[in-house]
Amino acid sequence: MRKKLYIYLLIAFTALSQILSSCNSCKKQDVDLSEDLVVPDSVVNYTPPQVGKAVTEQMMQNISSPVETAALIKGLKIPFNKNFLANTKHAENFNTNFEKAFALGLYGCDLGYLNMYEKTSFVVDYISVIKRLADDIQVGQFFDFSTLKRLATNNENLDSLILISQQSFNRIDTYLAETNRSMLSAVIVAGVWVEGAYLSSRVAQISTHPRIRETIGEQKTILNFLLALLKVYERDPSMAKLINDIEPVKQLYEKVRITYEVGEPEMVEENGVVTFKQTDKQIIEMDDELYKQLIDGIQQLRSKLLKQ
Amino acid sequence: MKKIFFALVLVMVGVSYFGKSAKAQSEEELVQICTMIAGDAEYLKDFRIKLDAGDPPPVQRFPIVLKKDVKYRFSVCNSKDFEGKVILQLFDNNRQLATTYIVATGKDYPYIDWVCTKTGAYHLVYSFRDGKAGLAVGLLSMVGTM
Repeated sequence: MRKKLYIYLLIAFTALSQILSSCNSCKKQDVDLSEDLVVPDSVVNYTPPQVGKAVTEQMMQNISSPVETAALIKGLKIPFNKNFLANTKHAENFNTNFEKAFALGLYGCDLGYLNMYEKTSFVVDYISVIKRLADDIQVGQFFDFSTLKRLATNNENLDSLILISQQSFNRIDTYLAETNRSMLSAVIVAGVWVEGAYLSSRVAQISTHPRIRETIGEQKTILNFLLALLKVYERDPSMAKLINDIEPVKQLYEKVRITYEVGEPEMVEENGVVTFKQTDKQIIEMDDELYKQLIDGIQQLRSKLLKQ
Repeated sequence: MKKIFFALVLVMVGVSYFGKSAKAQSEEELVQICTMIAGDAEYLKDFRIKLDAGDPPPVQRFPIVLKKDVKYRFSVCNSKDFEGKVILQLFDNNRQLATTYIVATGKDYPYIDWVCTKTGAYHLVYSFRDGKAGLAVGLLSMVGTM
């Protein structure tokens, strides 16, 4: 009897240690188990189109980046303008998960612009909205709100502000893909693109720099990649509507002509750093009228999607 | 018999509980190391590479969009838990444009810079030298605009 009790105790101890070690690994990955209990509304009512791993691996990894767009604008010595940004009050206009994902991308792009210009006084407002939107689509746990708020409030380590913002968005992207919600990831990318193109269009109205004209023109290439990504999910009614909303801008871009002159890259090694310099040239052709139409088209699209 | 059984259970407990604390280098740690390698460049995206050994060497591809007038930095960081040393090759369609491993000199670079003059699609192709198994992280960051 005693021997049996002894064996039962050992088995119970083994089982307990297994459970403890499993919980330990969950804690290490910063996974909030309570999040698993939340059933997304998309699962309850409607299952968005699913995409296989092979297809997602072929998708462009960084169609639109807020950091590059903002850096290009700042690089042209264009002063910061708060009026270019989407008002955070508009965040209330986004109701469905689809709309919230779009808004997440849009405000994420604005955050990139603010970070690049080191306008930390506005950052807290934007990260608060982003955190709320991220929570609503059950990805808030990947947005390091407290660290970002501390960095912005104390005006400290602005490089970390950009790093953590970018990493938060990348983790959201990875998590959405892992939880079969890649469509929302694509919608976030669309939000980033629309806002990035809008910021460039506003700059285009105040600057005659040829690079900004080229930036507007080269959106043709980026929009083609974006639409290819969005069309993977076009069976979803919300996605079909978004694609339809973008269509007038897409049609305008069909009139833009982009050609390339191919060259061989050059390799230079200086102080142990190897730099490869591309020598290809891109030539973008569009007349002034088309340029103006593109600026108007992008601004109308953004206004519509922001529900202004 | 009872002693053997007791020893077996103790080993099981030890492996299941304490084995977890002797953890391998995680991908997150590699991202942090890679970020340090990238220096002042602004982080844009990281790529996780895990490949088995093979001949020809298996590769992992990531299509990306790079923008004109941006100087990018591609950094790589190997896991110390694997033998494989990662190689990055940057392709534009089928043309190799840049790499972290120069075959002619046998030199391996922890990062390379790329001055982009054409906005468009590019491919990052990661493999491990001599087709060894490996775990690595690749980082895309921005040095600045031209």
